[in-house]
Amino acid sequence: MKVSATGVGDLVVEDLSVRYGGVQAVSSVGFSVGAGKCVGIIGANGAGKTSTLKALMGLVPRSVGALRLGEHDLTKVKPQDIVRHGIGYVPEGRHVFDGLTVEKNLLLGAYLRSWKGKTQETLREVYEMFPVLGEMQHRLAGALSGGQQQMLAIGRALMSEPKLVLLDEPSMGLSPKLVEEILATLQRLSAAGLGLLLVEQNAKLTFEATESCLVMENGRIAMTGSSADLSHDPLVRQIYLGL
Amino acid sequence: MNLLLRNRLRSAQLIAVAVVAVTAWFLPYGLDGYGIHVVNIAIVFALLAVGLGLAMGVAGQINLAQVAFFGVGSYALAIFTTSSGLGFWVSAVLAMLATALAGLFVGIPALRVQSHYLGIVTLGLALAFTNWVTNAEVAGGASGLNGIPVPPLFGIDLSDEYLYYYLELIVFGLAIAFAVFLVRTALGRRLRAMRDDSLAAGAVGAPVPLLRMTAFLTASVYGGAAGVLYAGLIRYIAPETFSVANMFLLLAMVIIGGRQSILGCVIGAVALSLVREALVDFSVYAQLGYGSVVVLMVVFAPTGLAGLPRRIHGVIRRRRSGDRAVLKPFRPYPPAESAGQGPPLEIAGISKNFRGVKALKGVSLSVAPGEIRGIVGPNGSGKTTLFNVISGIYTASAGTATFGTEVLTGRRPYQLSQLGLARTFQNLRLFGQMTVEENLLVALDRSAMRSLWRYVLWPVGIWRFERRLRHDAAELLERFGLEDYQAAAPKSLPYGIQRRVELARAMASGPKLLLLDEPAAGLNGQEVGQLKEIVRSIRDSGVTVVLIEHNMGLVMSLCDRITVLASGGVIAEGTPAEVAVRPEVIEAYLGDSFSTAEVVRAVETETMS
Amino acid sequence: MQVFLQTLVGGLSFGAVYALVAMGFSIVYRTMGLVNFAHGQVVMVGAYAASTFYMSSRLPFILAIIVAMLVTGAIALVMERVLRPLENKDFDLMLIGTIGFGVVLESLATIIWGATGHAVPTPVAAEPLDVFGVRIRTYSLVVLGIAAVATVLLLLFLQRTKRGAAMQAVAMDHEAATAVGIHVGRSNAIAFAVGAGLAALAGGLVGPLLYVSPTLGGTLGIKGFAAAILGGFGNITGAIVGGLAIGLLDSFAAGQFQGYSDLVVFLVFTAIVMVKPTGLFGERTVSRA
Repeated sequence: MKVSATGVGDLVVEDLSVRYGGVQAVSSVGFSVGAGKCVGIIGANGAGKTSTLKALMGLVPRSVGALRLGEHDLTKVKPQDIVRHGIGYVPEGRHVFDGLTVEKNLLLGAYLRSWKGKTQETLREVYEMFPVLGEMQHRLAGALSGGQQQMLAIGRALMSEPKLVLLDEPSMGLSPKLVEEILATLQRLSAAGLGLLLVEQNAKLTFEATESCLVMENGRIAMTGSSADLSHDPLVRQIYLGL
Repeated sequence: MNLLLRNRLRSAQLIAVAVVAVTAWFLPYGLDGYGIHVVNIAIVFALLAVGLGLAMGVAGQINLAQVAFFGVGSYALAIFTTSSGLGFWVSAVLAMLATALAGLFVGIPALRVQSHYLGIVTLGLALAFTNWVTNAEVAGGASGLNGIPVPPLFGIDLSDEYLYYYLELIVFGLAIAFAVFLVRTALGRRLRAMRDDSLAAGAVGAPVPLLRMTAFLTASVYGGAAGVLYAGLIRYIAPETFSVANMFLLLAMVIIGGRQSILGCVIGAVALSLVREALVDFSVYAQLGYGSVVVLMVVFAPTGLAGLPRRIHGVIRRRRSGDRAVLKPFRPYPPAESAGQGPPLEIAGISKNFRGVKALKGVSLSVAPGEIRGIVGPNGSGKTTLFNVISGIYTASAGTATFGTEVLTGRRPYQLSQLGLARTFQNLRLFGQMTVEENLLVALDRSAMRSLWRYVLWPVGIWRFERRLRHDAAELLERFGLEDYQAAAPKSLPYGIQRRVELARAMASGPKLLLLDEPAAGLNGQEVGQLKEIVRSIRDSGVTVVLIEHNMGLVMSLCDRITVLASGGVIAEGTPAEVAVRPEVIEAYLGDSFSTAEVVRAVETETMS
Repeated sequence: MQVFLQTLVGGLSFGAVYALVAMGFSIVYRTMGLVNFAHGQVVMVGAYAASTFYMSSRLPFILAIIVAMLVTGAIALVMERVLRPLENKDFDLMLIGTIGFGVVLESLATIIWGATGHAVPTPVAAEPLDVFGVRIRTYSLVVLGIAAVATVLLLLFLQRTKRGAAMQAVAMDHEAATAVGIHVGRSNAIAFAVGAGLAALAGGLVGPLLYVSPTLGGTLGIKGFAAAILGGFGNITGAIVGGLAIGLLDSFAAGQFQGYSDLVVFLVFTAIVMVKPTGLFGERTVSRA
């Protein structure tokens, strides 16, 4: 998975570790996401998937050998400035700003940009992509259903016009039908040339949405490969089916 | 080696106590009349500080009414002696009772609110008290009450401050001894457990509401004793002694000294009393000084002066890591004859709504005695919510859970623990500031709160009970292979060991029904294997086990039956082999990138092997 | 009836002050999840600063209050910076830290202004208005007016500005806020400063109504807090209603129970917290413990 020749706009992660107190949540993980590519991370709860994403966003204390997006070195970038470099983040459990309106949530996604002009255009695009958000733009985000909140969280991440979006369990708590919708959304984003790093429990969703995958186990990358190959791999089947 | 060190430490402690006691006894010989007065006042504040420390540092209850307890004690004594004309000691007993009642009254809000809210409510009640005494005629209004008689004591002239010192010293000595005894034995452990994690404390059987009341009761009794001693010493009382300014001084004493340590509270109180006396002409600067020190303390040394040695020690120990503690294998429980004869768990139509979101929609399932039941389903499907409802953390919006003849729903977690239910938590809720052994001791302690009378009347009984608990804890530590970690702080241990400690703690309460929330999360392959063995042995000893798990390998090979949840409802139930091939399960959870045929084949090989 | 209306009007003007104090509590709580126990002392410092600038430097009353707001805002920035290491970690320790700051502020005020305090002359000299036999102090109307303007400005700030939205976002989810580019520390500092500014406004306004002394903060602070809880903590509209309610309760209790009014107010407040910890408009969970 570690590619020596990285292209423009690739996310490159080397030797990333996260410790909480005495617990090593992520140990020396390295991978890369090519520009516009879609990569998945699967693994059991507690395997370190969420910690990996949070560490990339600088939301947890971490140590990292190298962290680059394209030619930008992100190792020293402050957490609130990561988004400036073109990385959007969709947190686990959605975490929309529940006391604010849908529109405010989306606009806050473009916090670092002026809310006039181009941002209004992006807002229209998001409403086009998720018409239901447009219908509910003046409702409080907390009043939306789980699926709508998930779309809002994705929409909010898109508002910063990112090159790469990190998604943490977008399928969590959603019914199979909604999971299908999320999958369709992810495929559309991917088709639009957006890079995606998808953390999931739902192996089916992940394998369908991504080209390649990492399997995490106990804070390490247990294996990597193309999604098609992995879906038939014995280890993956052991984790997901216990076979 | 460890034992030797501990014995040496213990004898050092004994020597220190003896030296302090002797020094305290001969102290008046080196003091002039003013000096002894200052010391007498300092002892009163130390008594107050210990009471505050017990409530705040040990039990985690923000109590800003300690100065009011002090006031109730003083005023009650003054009123009983001057207005009612009762004798000093009769009044003292009545004053203590009045303070205890005040303590229970102030404690009532703690049943509903905690933290900031509790702080402001107790502060409000303290202000209400000052407001009352400044206005009430019976309390002498703003000018206060004087003419409190000198306490008579077998002809000893207690108007002499030198002799009064010995009275105070004896009371204080007893109070300290009792506080230390309390903190180190069962009740203190429950209080500390509640402070560290009230949810987990309830789940292992600590009666949290009663403990909160106990914390306020204890604080008020110390406040009352201080009030009586103060009134007997000064024989004149006025509202400003019990002002909010003095409450904050008291708070500063406890924070600077170390709120979790009795010794720290005493040191803080004595030190600040002396500083206040030395700077009596510059009291504003003294106030500025201790205010600043409090701010610095909470940021840089939250455990206070008393916590410094341990912090320094901790830093040194982290430097030279190389401890040879190992996790030993689990020693299985002896299989019980009665396995499979306990009561069944019946869950009928349980729903749970959060502000309109339906987390559970009429979940029903029944678990046979001695069964290992797996509950699986995608994240967010309501599994943990179901556990929280069964274990009393949430109240169900509808439906009931029964365990044999006992209805589980509508009871508090600690009551469920007493009925034989134990659980673990997805994100490990160990008592962080207690050792591994103490974590187990809290759960091993099955005593009812009504046996607390022994603390006052029969401490020997408490000691015996304590020794029995420690013996049981040692056995449990050995069974779970945790002997080497007995004195370790849970947070310092690797994740897998913390998980095992939590499991041991759940078993410490001797449950008949055990709920495990993702016990394998974060464990490596070898540890999952050990877990499987432990859970089987627990079941064979006669415990019904329900577990939430994502590790399908574990679920398939360990569980007798599996219930699948999706979006808050049960979508399938059956043996692992049956459930794994159900199309709706594959659709909702496993994903259809695994063909059904593959699954069937694999399940067959698994069941055959 | 006349007495009733008189008490009502008096209660409303104090209620407006409590509402301002409560809004200060709420905005800090809403953004940081922290109850600032030094808030009352900040009100006191604001009262002193405003009255000093008004009386000694002969600044116009409003200007004196604005300067006082800047002073307390700066104090708040220092407080927030010192306590920042504890943010989102240990609420109980932060609470004790703010109590420590309260003690520091009170002693500093005593050092600077002395322990005795001073009275502040009314900035509006006009005769009391006579409305259907009820005498209304013109200054009471000024207090109500300024409090209303401040409330509207605060609501506009929270609802219409990007910074206002960002501050609320931080309160709702500080990680998600960070991920969209909001500097959480800076946002909290601004919230603290805005809260302190409101405190100074309340203190400046209450000066001519009460006697300004170092202990002014204690009671004002706790009654403002009671108002905030009553209205549902963190809820700005609730804070206004709560403030007015406490003001009225206070003023009627003073008429009915004279010296015992504080006792009655705090007992009623305790009872309310027990019965409905989330307050009248409460939407948030109460116990963070």
